[in-house]
Amino acid sequence: MVDKTDTLDCRGEVCPYPDVKSKRKAKKMNSGEVLEILIDYPLSAERIPETMKSMGNEVLSTEKVGASEWKILVKIK
Amino acid sequence: MAIDIFVVLIPGLILGIIFGFILQRGRFCMNSAFRDIILLKEYKLAKSVALAILVSMLGFAIMSFGGIITLNPKQFAWGANIVGGLIFGFGMVLAAGCASGTTYRVGEGMMGSLVALLGYAGGAYFTKFGALNSIAKFLQDNTKITNPDGSALTVFGDLTPIFMLIIGIAGIALVAYFWIWRELRAKKRENKPMFDLSDFGQKAFKKGWHWAVTAIAIGILACFAYISSAAAGRNYPLGITGGWVGWNKYWNTGVDTALGWETWLVIGIVIGAFISAIIAKEFKLRTPKHAKTILIQFIGGSAMGFGAVTAMGCNIGNILSGFPLLSLGSLLSGAFIILGCWLLAYLLFMWRKD
Repeated sequence: MVDKTDTLDCRGEVCPYPDVKSKRKAKKMNSGEVLEILIDYPLSAERIPETMKSMGNEVLSTEKVGASEWKILVKIK
Repeated sequence: MAIDIFVVLIPGLILGIIFGFILQRGRFCMNSAFRDIILLKEYKLAKSVALAILVSMLGFAIMSFGGIITLNPKQFAWGANIVGGLIFGFGMVLAAGCASGTTYRVGEGMMGSLVALLGYAGGAYFTKFGALNSIAKFLQDNTKITNPDGSALTVFGDLTPIFMLIIGIAGIALVAYFWIWRELRAKKRENKPMFDLSDFGQKAFKKGWHWAVTAIAIGILACFAYISSAAAGRNYPLGITGGWVGWNKYWNTGVDTALGWETWLVIGIVIGAFISAIIAKEFKLRTPKHAKTILIQFIGGSAMGFGAVTAMGCNIGNILSGFPLLSLGSLLSGAFIILGCWLLAYLLFMWRKD
């Protein structure tokens, strides 16, 4: 179990806010911290991990937690 | 006149269901495709759009030479193409989805997209038959340029079908080499299998599709759609706007001839996306978190409706179907749809960095 530093709840946000908000959030966080992102938008479930990786961050897990709901854990580089 | 069930209703509905299924699996939305180029530097959907256009172009060219279809590019009217395209581009950013994206997301249970769709259908209907028609008609009539015989301007004139064939083949080859082959080679270097067909069911029905798979599927579907649509008396490949205008006209006037092939196609898209989302467990009835978002999506949808009718096509009619036909009007509309999308996306998401 990883200790998460912060949670960003993007459920109910429309395209592209989940992506934009998680990108902005990740940029503000410090190295080694873990961000939990909650989303309910399928395209972002695939796009956010990709964006996080290209920012150099480590995607610890992408877990489907319910009908159209995902939890992404990202470790900031 | 009764609706022809076997030529109009069933083929339109079935192709729509397949289209909706592919759109949902591929998350194929041109708003995301264009916007993400500048916003997230993410090109997968843009590549998918490009390849779908190329596959359609090759397919339409072959079918045209085979005498199966008659090419029917859209007319050029620069004022209408520019104004309509730009407003459509602005609208889709606000609506959080293009015409096809908004339609398939209704099937995923996104009520914000349903509101955007109502705005879209209304805006399009008022522009096609109602109070806003004079604006669209003014632009279309006063800036229209055609060939001497009245046919639509295409990039290569009489040689357009040959060039469709050449660009289609060359384009697909370039995409295959520079994008697909390089991806496969990178996989090989990591010692992963190039084509992993294990868990096929899982990949086909539960996960999002690879961009190239989505693109090829849409390109092939577009060819069947052209044949089916022409047989129903609408000589054009895929489209969205006319479908929603048709429903609006039917409910407003009760005239059942309004229920053409395209109306069944758009209903099919919603059903197909719903089936796909249910199988993948991605269906959920949901509303946007903020009430303001719903209002913005409605305004965006209405702008898209006005823009699509003015520009004589939405992103499907003008870009997915119009680019392969090399219609000058579609290319201009498409360029301004993309420009509008970039301008507003920049102002909303990138200009003010907080």
